[in-house]
Amino acid sequence: MATIKISPVTRIEGHMDVEVTVDLVGGRPQVVDAKSSGTMFRGFEQILINHDPLDALYFTQRVCGVCPIAHGMASALALEAALGVSPPDNGRIIRNLVLGANFIQSHVLHFYHLSLLDYVDATGLLDMSPWNAHYAAPDLIRGGAASRFIDHYSQALAIRRKAHQAGAIFGGRLPCSPVFVPGGSTEAVAPQKVADFRNLLAEIRGFIDSVYLPDVNEVAALFPAYAQVGRGCGNLLAFGAFNLDAAGHSRLFARGRCTDGAPAAVDPLEIREDVAKAWYSSPTGLNPKDGLTEPDKGKAWAYSWIKAPRYVDKVHEVGPLARMWVNGDYRKGVSVIDRHAARALEARKVAEAMAGWVGQLNAGGSSYTYRAVPASVTGKYGLSEAARGALGHWIDISNSRIARYQILTPTAWNASPTDDAGRKGAMEQALLGTPVRDAQNPIEVLRVIHSFDPCLACAVHVVRPGRAASSAVPGAVAGIVTSPRR
Amino acid sequence: MILTRRDFLKASAAIAGAIAAASGGLGRIRAALARETDAGGLPVVWLQAQSCSGCSVSLLNSVHYNTIDHLLINTLDLQYHPTLMAAAGESARAEAEAARRRGGYVLAVEGSVPSGAGGEFCTVWDGMTAQAAVQAFAPGATVILAVGTCAAFGGMPGGSPNPTGARGLRDLGLAKPIINLPGCPVHPDWVVGTIACLLAGGKAPALDSLGRPTDFYGTKVHDNCPNLNAYNSNYAKHVNDKPRDSKPANHCLTCHTNTDTHIKGPRTLGGSGCLYPLGCKGRFTYADCPTRLWNGGAARTPGVNWCIGARSPCHGCTQPNFPDGMTPFLTLSGLGVKD
Repeated sequence: MATIKISPVTRIEGHMDVEVTVDLVGGRPQVVDAKSSGTMFRGFEQILINHDPLDALYFTQRVCGVCPIAHGMASALALEAALGVSPPDNGRIIRNLVLGANFIQSHVLHFYHLSLLDYVDATGLLDMSPWNAHYAAPDLIRGGAASRFIDHYSQALAIRRKAHQAGAIFGGRLPCSPVFVPGGSTEAVAPQKVADFRNLLAEIRGFIDSVYLPDVNEVAALFPAYAQVGRGCGNLLAFGAFNLDAAGHSRLFARGRCTDGAPAAVDPLEIREDVAKAWYSSPTGLNPKDGLTEPDKGKAWAYSWIKAPRYVDKVHEVGPLARMWVNGDYRKGVSVIDRHAARALEARKVAEAMAGWVGQLNAGGSSYTYRAVPASVTGKYGLSEAARGALGHWIDISNSRIARYQILTPTAWNASPTDDAGRKGAMEQALLGTPVRDAQNPIEVLRVIHSFDPCLACAVHVVRPGRAASSAVPGAVAGIVTSPRR
Repeated sequence: MILTRRDFLKASAAIAGAIAAASGGLGRIRAALARETDAGGLPVVWLQAQSCSGCSVSLLNSVHYNTIDHLLINTLDLQYHPTLMAAAGESARAEAEAARRRGGYVLAVEGSVPSGAGGEFCTVWDGMTAQAAVQAFAPGATVILAVGTCAAFGGMPGGSPNPTGARGLRDLGLAKPIINLPGCPVHPDWVVGTIACLLAGGKAPALDSLGRPTDFYGTKVHDNCPNLNAYNSNYAKHVNDKPRDSKPANHCLTCHTNTDTHIKGPRTLGGSGCLYPLGCKGRFTYADCPTRLWNGGAARTPGVNWCIGARSPCHGCTQPNFPDGMTPFLTLSGLGVKD
């Protein structure tokens, strides 16, 4: 029996520690317990209180610099629900194109720059920092095949830059685009922009088809065991994204879930967040529309800044695999390899859809519909998807100012700690049963973690409104909140 | 080849215009970046505190001076960067500790540093708060780069009520020179250009009173804005108006009614022209965005777009009072901005 703590987990966004316990099962060492811990907290929702509602478009994009556009989109959608306005087609399409460009950037970054070094040994090719120290593993790809992957790593750096360049044509700049507003986008459609975007998209699609997808397939072929590693709870959830009409009735990716093997609908009111093992003294089991969050770093038995979102009392995984599964585009399985495969196939699907959307833009047409901010409204929300999974923003407005702002991020679902009933989070469950050959070099654990594309700045943004600034400094709060409240 | 300050300034200024004349100066910056030092690259230790990683993501977009793969392979010896490095856990910490003992590195910090909860609102690894990490790694640094507005001035986590006691590096009492490279996120050129200056001259570039390189932050967005003429024609004479009849200063309704036809310029989002009525903070913001632009496609060329180019008012992201002094970011009513 050995306890391995990977601290810091690298090649993710943000700060995370993962601790696993390894023991012999059937004579083979494997993970028998796992704890995932987010180790950074900022307090965005407390900061948003009393701000002009449109300030949320800017603040929330700084929750994460890898997926800022998803937050800009969710914020714009939440504000559209609050203001009672829908965008004209140009505005809706521009936002989809910028989000799509960032999805592709994120997926390419994730496979090549965050994940690939779990499978490929760069020794002899890139004998320098930051690539030269890594876990030793006999199954790493070496030699000629490694050389090709490292070359693609370099090409992928250029392609993800070009994806951001394409996004900025309509998004103004990336990361953190200022064009997302309720009612559409500030940027307009011009013929040169359409032409430039098309050219970049064609190059990016070529890379996805001729380099990215074949590389994922080759890793899958060389690491077949990983199609049976990292399954986890098997429940999948998606809010859906890329509205295909003004009201969002139809989307490129549908809203839905697969719970205990059966498809079902998603009602945001059924979401609750537990804090049994999270460093908060505020009540547990609240729906985001009612939330409260007060940090308490001294809380006993807690081990994470991440809360534990659950749907109908069940753990669910979110991400490209969940989206593609709910949408009927991928149903092979749930595992490390399936997550990478679904992500790459999703990149191709999104890029193809973008090529069609560009053709629907109307040069000279309006991208924005004005609507004033109401003085008061409650419980409005915007649901979308970041590259790594379902994302929702909830807003209450009072006296024309933000009274409450809640963000539920994908990595909160995926990297959550144990909930009030003792159910481990999706990634924690996926780690159970993972074989670990060498406790000093737990590369297998990294492979499972990275398959989720964790983004920890998102996972621990959570702060909730209500209390004054003085309570933000944690005091000596005793015990764990044990009685869920609604 | 030594790049003089004059050459460097000429290169920076050339970005705005004559590409032909510029190529010589830009070529020298590129040469400074291409040169490998005897030790195999400029040593850099990159720590992330309360960061969103946006500044690292932005740095990956570098292309104008040189691309990130070239920089990582030929110019820099990036001894620690949690987002990119192959090592994890103890082996990653060992890399950081080895770098710290060797010393002589540029310490780049991304993200604000929280002082609340004994620094425990952010730990960079088990038992090491961001605050302790910055203090442990500062002594071995030759210079410290505060990358992004969070590291420079506290940024968004430092927005009121600052629940975690987030601070910029300048408030940590570090006994090392700090170069502030604000931006939310920072522009990759501002980081790479500063590194080029360090490599070429062996010392920091000229800095303003806020510790920002004047080559990138020496002019206001307003000063080079293509909408400047429209501003001067339509709004300049009204700026610095006194508040009147309980309406704030510089607010169009101070003197006009909603239906006055002589309120010029875009009154709603999506319109072109001077964005002052929509809350543009360009008059208060130092950055070379109007000439450098963002998200370029090739070396030696400007970017493809920028905030004001996308008809979104400047939100002041390089300034020390970002975000609180720049909100509300948008004046949706189109009726002007309070100074």
